[in-house]
Amino acid sequence: MAGDPSVAIAADDLGRTFGEVTALEHVTFSVTSGTIVGVIGPSGAGKTTAVRILTGALAPTSGSATVLGHSCSSLARRTRERIGYMPQLFSLFPDLTVGENVDFVASLFGLLLLRRRRRVRRVLELVDLWPVRGRKASQLSGGMQRRLELACALVHEPAVVFLDEPTAGLDPLLRTAIWTELHRLSRSGCTVLVTTQYVGEAEECDEVVLFSEGQLVSVAQPDEMRRDATQGEVIELQTRDVFDGDRLAGLPIIRSVRQLSGRELLVTTDNAGTGLPVILNAVEDLGGVVTSSREYRPSFDEVFATLISRHRATLGQPPDGAIAR
Amino acid sequence: MILLQVLTRLLAIVGKELVEAIRRPAALFSLVLGPFLIMAIFGLGYDNSITPFRADLVVPPGAGLSTNLADYQPFVPPGARLDSVGTDAAAAEQALRNQAVDVVVYVPANLMKTFEAGQQSTIRVEYNLISPAKADYATLLVQQLAYAVNEQIIERTAGTGVSVLRAPGSSFPIPPAVIAAPTRAQPENIAPNQPSLPSFYGPAVLALILQHLAITLTALSLIRERRTGVFDVLRVSPVSAFEIVLGKVVAFAILGVVIALALLAVLVDVLGVPLLGDPLLIAASVGLLLVASLGLGLLISVVSDSDRQAVQLALMSLLASVFFSGFLLDVQQFVPVVQGLGDLLPATHGIRLLQDLMLRGAPPSRGTSSPWRRWQAWP
Repeated sequence: MAGDPSVAIAADDLGRTFGEVTALEHVTFSVTSGTIVGVIGPSGAGKTTAVRILTGALAPTSGSATVLGHSCSSLARRTRERIGYMPQLFSLFPDLTVGENVDFVASLFGLLLLRRRRRVRRVLELVDLWPVRGRKASQLSGGMQRRLELACALVHEPAVVFLDEPTAGLDPLLRTAIWTELHRLSRSGCTVLVTTQYVGEAEECDEVVLFSEGQLVSVAQPDEMRRDATQGEVIELQTRDVFDGDRLAGLPIIRSVRQLSGRELLVTTDNAGTGLPVILNAVEDLGGVVTSSREYRPSFDEVFATLISRHRATLGQPPDGAIAR
Repeated sequence: MILLQVLTRLLAIVGKELVEAIRRPAALFSLVLGPFLIMAIFGLGYDNSITPFRADLVVPPGAGLSTNLADYQPFVPPGARLDSVGTDAAAAEQALRNQAVDVVVYVPANLMKTFEAGQQSTIRVEYNLISPAKADYATLLVQQLAYAVNEQIIERTAGTGVSVLRAPGSSFPIPPAVIAAPTRAQPENIAPNQPSLPSFYGPAVLALILQHLAITLTALSLIRERRTGVFDVLRVSPVSAFEIVLGKVVAFAILGVVIALALLAVLVDVLGVPLLGDPLLIAASVGLLLVASLGLGLLISVVSDSDRQAVQLALMSLLASVFFSGFLLDVQQFVPVVQGLGDLLPATHGIRLLQDLMLRGAPPSRGTSSPWRRWQAWP
């Protein structure tokens, strides 16, 4: 895994404890170069710990991790020059201006004057902070401070960038702008690992890593994760009259049926495309009249809650927050 | 009802402050016990002894007095230590200029003849001190040294019999006043400069300010960046720990040099403190003081877990410097262990260097009070 040039980030049986507390255990996944990977999970799931280990800021207590083929425990200067990092909390210099902060970080990464000037302007325009470049960082709003940190993480055009909740506290327009930039970065070959508290943003990612209780719950593309949560593809049916969904339970292609109301059903099947005609015929055979049918795509909030709830159940914990329909 | 609400709010604030304070036991410990610790070290380490002035006695061959050191020892007053009795005035003066001795007593060549002629002699006594307090003390001591010589003369006279008191051919006896005091002392401070008290303490205050500034800036900068997570950003960047520390040290050293220049200008131009030494040596001393103080600041940042604790430790180092660096009291007035503690403070060396370079125009001598000699003398 570590030797594969197409793999930008790899974690192998990664673990980290803080005294008696296990923050991360047995985490194994890899990230393909040039993709956007979203790391999601409830608070305290181990997302930030994983990011800190992967950036080399924290040593793992077990397992290993690599970035750009190099061990995270001993990242060489050359490798660090190709990594960008935006921490979860504001950790820049409040007494420096916006421009000075970005310029300082660019200097740390060895950008020379002309390129530095160009890049500072470019990233500040990207995060919409160019007009306030002369303002002290301490005088910025919380959202502006997040954008400033994002600018600092991107200023040196890294090959891999770790963003710990970059969109937290931002308004939807700016979040959209930032995701647009992340997609642009990805298209240019940059690998983006982003943690987010907005689970819906997982759909923007090429792949999603789901953490819970310090463990890896799932690594999949968003649609695969959705299928995993619903355990198949879901068809939403509306009937003209009241129809008892349990009457479909005997069909072999049907995994489950959930009655939303007297005239609304959610039917889970392995393949919605091939299963839909069969289900429609079955409903008609049972005397029902289908007025509309469509593939049901649960929101990622629902997917998230379902998977977390299921994982907690395997750990013997109460499935609080489970909202699977 | 309103009163109860006010009380509730007040108690909440009181409770929160108390809990926060109690949950930082290290900070509380250093806040309360730190000054007590320094006072305890001061109390236990101060032995109230005054370092004796090192004295040489020059007795020319024709003076008619003994050149045996033991003959004078019974008359040497407390507060002085007679190191040698010789006949070479030039060598003794050179030793005084080199600060190998503190006081030189020159007996006049024709002392006994002058006495027998019924006249009082003048004994020249030189010392080389820039401290006003020590110079005052030396003046008193000089009188006592003169008494020691007088004692020698009187004792010798008594040994030769009454005939000396009424010398053959003389028509009058030696006046009683001359018999009582055959010599009188004429003290002279040969230090290149005899500063006033404010001038004498000016370089010391400069050293203390620079030390405190460097310690506080370094410790607070590192603590804040460690606590706010800036270090995480720096760790991920291609900057090494050495570069981070070096960058900070250079920055604060530049700031310290600028402040040192400003303070020196105030000391010299406004307060009239003399600047007799080589500017390069003074600059080097300021540089060394700053580098050592920045190192102490780094140490404090490592052992502190909050801004508050770092500030407390910086203030404790200032307090310790006031007591143990030689700022107020001579370091030799403390027991050796406490002198060693003082040697760990950059201000101890900074004060010594800056006072001697600025006020005397030369670096400190390797006298018995230098740390080097103290370490050599360590058992």
